[in-house]
Amino acid sequence: MPPGLDRLQHIVVLMMENRSFDHMLGSLKAVNPKIDGYVDGDAYTNPDANNNPVKPQPSAKFQGQLQPDPDHHFPAVDLQIFGKGSDPTANNRQPNMQGFVASYFNQQRNLAHSQMIMYYFPKENLPVLTTLALEFAVFNRWFSSIPGPTICNRAFAHYGTSFGRVDLNPIYPPETIKSVYTRLIHNDPKRTAKVYYYDTTSSTMEVANLLQNQPELFGTYKQFLQDCDNGDLPDYSFIEPNYSDHQSDSGALIANDQHPDHNVRAGEVFIAQVYQAIKNNPQLWESTALLITYDEHGGIFDHVPPPGCVADKFKADGNATGVGVDFHFDRLGVRVPTILISPWIPAGTVENRVFDHASIPATITKFFVGNYSADRSPREIAADIFIEPQGAAVDPARNLLSLDMMRADCPDFDA
Amino acid sequence: MVLIRVPRPPKSAYDPDRPVGSLLKSQVEHMREAESKLPLRYRHEIETYVKAVRTEGEAARYIQAVHKAIQQAHEEADRERRGLKPAPAPTPKPVIEIAAVADEAAERKSNSARKHPAAKSQKSPRTKPRKK
Repeated sequence: MPPGLDRLQHIVVLMMENRSFDHMLGSLKAVNPKIDGYVDGDAYTNPDANNNPVKPQPSAKFQGQLQPDPDHHFPAVDLQIFGKGSDPTANNRQPNMQGFVASYFNQQRNLAHSQMIMYYFPKENLPVLTTLALEFAVFNRWFSSIPGPTICNRAFAHYGTSFGRVDLNPIYPPETIKSVYTRLIHNDPKRTAKVYYYDTTSSTMEVANLLQNQPELFGTYKQFLQDCDNGDLPDYSFIEPNYSDHQSDSGALIANDQHPDHNVRAGEVFIAQVYQAIKNNPQLWESTALLITYDEHGGIFDHVPPPGCVADKFKADGNATGVGVDFHFDRLGVRVPTILISPWIPAGTVENRVFDHASIPATITKFFVGNYSADRSPREIAADIFIEPQGAAVDPARNLLSLDMMRADCPDFDA
Repeated sequence: MVLIRVPRPPKSAYDPDRPVGSLLKSQVEHMREAESKLPLRYRHEIETYVKAVRTEGEAARYIQAVHKAIQQAHEEADRERRGLKPAPAPTPKPVIEIAAVADEAAERKSNSARKHPAAKSQKSPRTKPRKK
């Protein structure tokens, strides 16, 4: 077995908020052409309200630009993906990613402002995320699970399904499909898992089921830092950022989830701190893989049309989708930035297989539980895994932790 | 090994008076629903005033109150299960002030609109202007 997989004991997932791949990492195509981003000269445009083409521009700001919050509920994302004039009831619609400017224009009727939805960050403005993407493995085809908002997309990371929801309402899963955390802690041998929320004031987005019924699964970000220091990290950790500007015991805290219109630099600092907390403990660093991803695109432009996928066994009816037709969860949402970090991954790795957030419980379950025979959603069963299981014959073409020797040249951040 | 400098956000980025967005609103709703399932002694008077939450700071205060109440309720249930002495009864937090402040703001806006109809489109006095 490759030594990186052999040593792997912990998997950590950090899920940020509402930014698209092109918006955050698109500029990296100029550095590494294998990364499917954007360079000047590419033909990707969106028509504005006067039908003039709007090009992506490296003009994204850390804060103050995406007000109001770009719409990313199901009908708006449908427009973003299929373009103006597309009929949701028509068969065989092809996604063309032509409706982002039109969708943002609908919110304010402001031509100049609507064009900002095409803006992306120059590489040098996001030193943490872009460095990690270039130094480890970046995913060219990691999509949000649903063309919709946060809660239902985050549900895919915990359950492998949203149980038919495409909105922000609380999700009450049927008893048969267990969360990835329950699968781990009830496994024989018992595994350990934790959801680390930032603090009690930011709390968690997993209130309705997990916090309400299983508060023992939760810890704070402060505890995550201590657990890293003490070598007490559970097998699987899921980290939530700070979702609000608020007062804490240590003073004023700025939201670091990167949700528009929260400051993107605060999220950069947070990502760097999570990375350093793991890296600063040598035993942990060699035995941990960190996945950084975003729950959904937040209404911001991306040029890659989301592919179709296996339908889920749940559906959202036409009233729930808001576009008058049922949604069978048979296509993915917009592409999001996703990076896998480990000192066993070669620098400059670019992964082209298709993933979505259902890949998270699929990977964690396969890695820590093995053959799990209890109920899982069709979406999760069909989802690809991003870390190969230990013990089995490993296909080198699929194994991202492929180095024979651990790297000593990984970057550090002054976070 | 390369050490990369990470620029910090400016202090001016902090704005607890920022109008609450749809995600935080939904989190508040989830908390309200979770609170409604707690034993009565853990609930806050704010429950009926959740719709008055207008800013991130207000949402954060409510979320924290309910989060702690959920933790307390589970800790007490756990003590009971283990036959331990019950912890002191929780003191309800006076977070109702959120609603009161919101109501006052709404009243001020309403009075102002009556006195100065042209000022209707101006920003709420609770919304701090952002520095460009």
